[in-house]
Parts: sequence; structure tokens; C-alpha cells
Amino acid sequence: MCAAPAEVPIRLRGVCKAFRGHLGIGRTVAVEKLELEVRRGEIFGLLGPNGAGKTTTVKLILGLLRPDAGEVRLCGRPPRQPEARRRVGFLPEQPYFYQYLTVRELLDLCARLRGLGTAARRREVESALETLSLQAWAHTPIRKLSKGLVQRVGLAQALLGAPEVVILDEPMSGLDPIGRREVRDLILGLRRQGTTVLFSSHILQDAEVLCDRVAILFAGRLRAEGRLEELIEPAVRAFEVRLEGMLPPGCPAETLARGDGSVLVRVPDAEALTRLLGWALGHGVRVTSVSPRRESLEDRFLREVGARAREGVS
Amino acid sequence: MRRALALLLAGVLALGAGWIRGYAQATAPARQEARELLYLPNGRYLKLVSLGFAPLLADAIYLWAIQYYADYQRADRFRYVRHVFGDVIAELDPHYLDPYWLGALILTVEAGDLEGGLALLELGFERNPDAWILPYLAGWEAARFGALERAIAYFERAAAVPGAPSFVRRLPAGMYRRAGHLEEALRRWQALLYDPQSDEMTRAIAERQVRDLIVRLDLDRLREALARFEREQRRRPVALEELVRLGYLERIPRDPDGRPYRYDPHSGTVGTEASRILGER
Amino acid sequence: MSRHDGTPGLGGAVAAIGLNTFREAIRDRVLYLLLAFALVIILAARVLSLLTVGSEAKIIKDLGLSAIALFGVLTAVFVGVSLVFKEIERRTIYTLLAHPVPRWQFLAGKYLGVGGVLTIEVAVMSGTLALVLGWKGEAFGPLLPAVALIWVELLLVAAVALLFSTCTNPLLATLGSLAVYVAGHLVWSLELLQSRLVSGWQRAVCQALYWVLPNLELLDLKPEAVHGLPVSASEVGLAAAYGLAYAAALLLLAVVVFERREFAD
Repeated sequence: MCAAPAEVPIRLRGVCKAFRGHLGIGRTVAVEKLELEVRRGEIFGLLGPNGAGKTTTVKLILGLLRPDAGEVRLCGRPPRQPEARRRVGFLPEQPYFYQYLTVRELLDLCARLRGLGTAARRREVESALETLSLQAWAHTPIRKLSKGLVQRVGLAQALLGAPEVVILDEPMSGLDPIGRREVRDLILGLRRQGTTVLFSSHILQDAEVLCDRVAILFAGRLRAEGRLEELIEPAVRAFEVRLEGMLPPGCPAETLARGDGSVLVRVPDAEALTRLLGWALGHGVRVTSVSPRRESLEDRFLREVGARAREGVS
Repeated sequence: MRRALALLLAGVLALGAGWIRGYAQATAPARQEARELLYLPNGRYLKLVSLGFAPLLADAIYLWAIQYYADYQRADRFRYVRHVFGDVIAELDPHYLDPYWLGALILTVEAGDLEGGLALLELGFERNPDAWILPYLAGWEAARFGALERAIAYFERAAAVPGAPSFVRRLPAGMYRRAGHLEEALRRWQALLYDPQSDEMTRAIAERQVRDLIVRLDLDRLREALARFEREQRRRPVALEELVRLGYLERIPRDPDGRPYRYDPHSGTVGTEASRILGER
Repeated sequence: MSRHDGTPGLGGAVAAIGLNTFREAIRDRVLYLLLAFALVIILAARVLSLLTVGSEAKIIKDLGLSAIALFGVLTAVFVGVSLVFKEIERRTIYTLLAHPVPRWQFLAGKYLGVGGVLTIEVAVMSGTLALVLGWKGEAFGPLLPAVALIWVELLLVAAVALLFSTCTNPLLATLGSLAVYVAGHLVWSLELLQSRLVSGWQRAVCQALYWVLPNLELLDLKPEAVHGLPVSASEVGLAAAYGLAYAAALLLLAVVVFERREFAD
């Protein structure tokens, strides 16, 4: 149980993990010197391309893997202690449950493993079925469910017993747009209840909409971490201006592209924009559009990943 | 810490299990041993379940049986020899010769059971008519038990096997002699001596045996005639010719070198000067 | 959803996993195939016994007890080996171990489940054998000690399978478990071999194997039961104690291995 409210739900300090190859030959670094802290009540996104070490990190947090070095704390305890996982719900990547169980049987089993009493169990299972609109499939064997429904069952079991921390590994993968929308609403609902959510994803739009804070992983290293506003410069980084007609010389802007009868130029800030607009006014150049450009999470992500990838190549 | 505790507990349990096992084995050992053999199924059935590995299985049981019978402390160890070697191993791999003779030797040498051993060898010979070694061994085992007539019969069978080595062909003649059938022995050796198939060594041995047997038979005949003469005439003959004259002998034999036999009228003994004669003269 | 209030019992998770394992095995067609095969053999013994002259009951008893032992061992090995491996292969173990369940309880639950399956299987096969024997006017009672020790043997084999399945792949684990079963019935040959060997490392290895491998012959009372030979209660008790202590030691070892195990893929 997370003893004090001030307790940090998830904390990783200098965590390293490497895997040995077949027959102990070779060594692949999965995660290196990872520093992470997920604060109470926030939605934390663990982002990175496939193979960046997201799932390894999640497994380290849950004690399914032991770190080679460093320290992992879940609810203030080593994750190997069952007590550390008592208030934690988990949805594995591509969940695959006992095919021979019906949805209700599976949820009941998970509730038992959470240590819920008979009455609480029945209540929680019903509530989870309802939250994820699974009542119609309660008695269907899991092997007959579609992928999206299995994902939903996975979410239902992760939410059993109203955990204080929910860890979701790629919760959106394999879902159609409606499913993704539902999961997004669900996560936002969890935040309203004060639940701490950590999810990993390689889909950035989801993270952009949901996350309070994100961490970007690439090749096992933490490349950036922080609040979304911190990572993505909130200020407008540039303005793109479309001008019509032939430009007289002396335009105080960088030309980006020329189209039929129009030119796209860029200026770095508001001051330069003012100057450009003044110049245009003075020279009789028609301005058809001015659009501010902010950095998106994707830009940031690509910047990080692209830089590292180039490093890797060189 | 908890890991060490778990390992400790596992160790304690394992030791406890080992102790119980030792105790249980000590309290009920006898029945277990006898059972091993009793429940060894007949090779014909083992063959069915051996999935085509019958010879290998026969080897395994053979090896095991050797270990088993090499344990002299085992009481009651000869009860299932015939079963193990004859019914099990030989059924699994009828052309595997070693088990027949090893089983037979265990029976004859160790258990003193000649009939059991011979039966096992007979079984083997029946299935392997070209294995002269089996009647050959049977002959020696029979001879060791004093059953010389049966030994002769076995040697005859061994000698009749095409391809049997020449020393096997000499055995019946030798055994006839050992059994006291000197005339038959002589006939055999003579046959070998004049057989164009006989090799040089056989011929040399046969020649020596023939000479020896001729001398021995002549001396026996002379001694018998002398004894009869002395009993009836109440005196010794002056010379050997007297035996012929008075009708005790048809003629005076000569030794293989063509010389007459020595006769001493005072002691009444006969002897020979013949060369290359074995033993007493 | 309210924060839960239940106080988790120590055995709650063990029972839940045990029940789930049991359910998994029961819903698996392989088990029924094995069981059906065993029952057919026991029933066929009745037919076969018609062919013999003399003691028909002996053949029924022999075949019946052998079928119980053999199919029990196959179940123990196949179910026991797949217990842990299937969970890893299908990644269900992630969900399971992410719950607040100590790993030893996971293994204990798994073992409990396979134990339950084996118990039911032995009970069903024994019941069928008792029926077939009753039909011939023969009592099943004298076979009980033998059946009880077969049950202990199956629990031991299941523990071997579980231990192997925590540390190796299923093919090796299956072969290993079957090898231990066969070798366990042949340990006396090691004793013989050992007395043949002069002292040295070969002899030491031989002696070590002799004591490390389970002596499953101690747990085999089939011939005594079939022939109605006297078997003392203390003998049965000792053998059972041996088998259970051995199995318990194996389980503890499995827990130690499993506690350290990582789930990388």
C-alpha cells in the first residue's frame, strides 16, 4: 500500500538492464541509466519507437525483471514485494489471457489474486464489466473475443479493485479509432479519480492529448522528460507567411517555397513578423495568410530520435 | 535470506527423504531382489515392446545380468539363470552367442547344474547350427562332470559343423581315448591321419596318437594273454612265441617301428623300445 | 469503483491459482484423451482376461494398476511441464505476477492444481477398476496400498516436472521428467554398477546419482498387491513419507529457482 500520500508511486534511479543472448553469448543493452519519477495523480506517458526499451521499463517497474544496477521503487517498495503491487493494476502489451476462461471467470480470478473478499469481488467484477461495457460478453470464452474486446478485458482486469496506480503497456495498439477514443476517455476518467497512470505508447497523438508529463526513450536511454509544455516550446517558434505576386527585392524573410503566383516565407518571431508585414504594406505586396508554428510532440520526438539515429549511423 | 532459508529447508527435506529411503530399503530388500528377475518378461514379449531395438535391449539385459551374477553375496542367485539367459536374452536376440555359453558356464561352474547348462547350450546350437563353439563347450563341460560319453557326442557334433577348426575335429578321437575306448580312438586317429583334408599338424598329432595307441593296444593284448597263460598253465611263458603256440594269441604283434616287443620271462613283464611313445610303456 | 476493503487471505491466491490450473487441465482435451485411453485399457483387461487360463483377476489387476500408473505419469509430466511454460509462452504470467501474489504462492497454486487433477484421475481410474473387479467378484480393497503409493509417485513426478518447467524449455523438461521416472525405477542398477566400480570419480558419480535420483521402486507395490502378499502399514507409510518429502524438497527448489527467474520475452 502506498503508505503516505506524499509517496512517489513510481521511481527509477540509475536503472540499467541488459539481456544476454542465446547461450549467454553477447549482450544487448535494453535500458541504461534510467531516471524516472511518476508523481501521484498524473498521467505519465512513456514514449519511444519500437524497441526503445518501453516494455523492459514497465517490466522492471513491476518486478518481472531485476535491474542489473540502480533502484526501482513501486509505491515506495521494491517491486518484488507483493505489497508493492497491492494497489497496482497492469495491462500487458498485447494481452493474452486464459483462452478457456469466460470474461467473468477471468475477472473473478484476477480479483481473487488481488485478495478481494467475496462481496468485494462480486462488486468489483460487475463494476469493471460495466465500466468497459463488457456485460454482453460476460459469459463468452475469451478465445471467441475480437482483439479489441480482449484489450478491453485487459483494461477491465487492470482496473479491478480501484488501484491507485495503473500501468498500461501500449493500451491503444490494435484498437480502432472508436476503441482508442474509449480508452482515452477511460484514462482521463482515471485522472479525475486521482489515479496515477503510466502508459507506454509509440502513438504520439494520444500522448499529446492525455499526458501531464512524458518521457522519451530511445535505444534504452532517456532522451527527454518533463511536462508537455516544457518539452514542447509553448511559444510560437515561427510564423509562416504567404505573399502574393512577384516580390520586390529586400524581403526581410527566409523564403521557403515558391508556388504559382505566391511565395511562402518564414520569420522567426513576432518582431520580425511586424517588420515583414510593414515591408509588405510599404511595397504593396498582398498577404494572404499568416500562420504561427509551434513545435508538436512529434517534432520534438523526431528531433530526439532523428538526432540519435544520425549519431548511431555516424 | 529467505532464499537461504528455502534452500536449507529443501536440504533438510532431502536428507529426511534420503534417511527414510535408506531405512525402507534396509527393511525390505530381499523381496525386491527376487522380484527383479521374476518379473523380467519373456524375451518374445520384450521384443514386441522393444520397438525394433531388440538386440540393443538384449545387450542391456546381458550387461545387467553379468553384473547381477557377478555378485557372490546374492542368495538364491541361480534360480532364474535359465530364464534370464535362455528365455529373455536369447529370445530377444537368438543369434547372440555369448549369453548361451555364459549362462551355461554360470550354471555348470558356479551352480554345479550340468543339465541346465547343457540345455542352454543345446538351445543355442539349435538356433545357431553353425556355432561349433556351443557343442564344443558343452563337450568340455560334460567331460568336466565325468560324462565322457556325452562329451564325445557333443564333440562329434562340433566336429561335424562345416568350418569348425581342425582342433575341434581331433576332439572326438581324443575323448574316445580318455573314455577308454582305445580301439575306437585308434580308428578315429587313423581316419584323421589318412584323411586328405587333414592339415599337417593334425596329421602329425594323429600319427603320434596312432603309434601310441597301437603300442598301448598291443601291450594290453599281450598282458592280457600273459595273465591268462599264467592263470591256466601255472607258469610264465619262456618266450612270447609260446603264447601263439598254445593258442593265446593269433600272432605276435610288432611295434610301429617294426620291432618285436620286449619280454622278460623272469618278471613276466612286456615293454617296448618304440620311439615317440607318450606316458608309461 | 470503491477502494477495496477485503483482507487477502494467505491461501486465497494459492487456491485461486490452483483452481484455475485445475480448470485449465479439465478443459483441455488431452486429459480426456488420456483418461479415455486408460479406461479403455482397464475395460479391455476384462476382455483380455477371457483369453487366459487360470487367474483372470490377475490380468485385470495387472493391467489396471499399470494403466493407472502409466497414464497418471503421462498426465503428471505433460500437465506439470506445461504449467509454468504455457503461462510464459502465452504471456499470461505477466498479468498473474503483476498482481500482489508472491511467486511461491503461484507455484504452490500450480502444484495444487495438478495434484487435484492427478487425484481425480487416479480416483476415476481406480473406480473403474473396482467396478470391473467387482463384476468378477473380486475385491478392490487389497489394491488400495498400491494405488495410494502410485498416487504418491505421481505427486513426486509432477514435482519433478514443475521443477524442470521453471528452468528449461518444455521439450527438455518433458524428456527430463520422463527420464527421471524411468531412472527412478532403475536405481538398483546403479547400486550394482557401483559395487563393480573401483573407487574413483566414476564410483562417486554413481553413488551420487544413486542417492539423488528418487527410488521409485520403493513406491511400487503392484506385484505385492496383485499377488496378495502381506504389506505392512509401516512399509506403506514409510514409502509415502519418502515420496512426499522428496516432492516437497523439489518444490522448494522450484520456488528458489522461480523466485530468481526473469521474464524477458
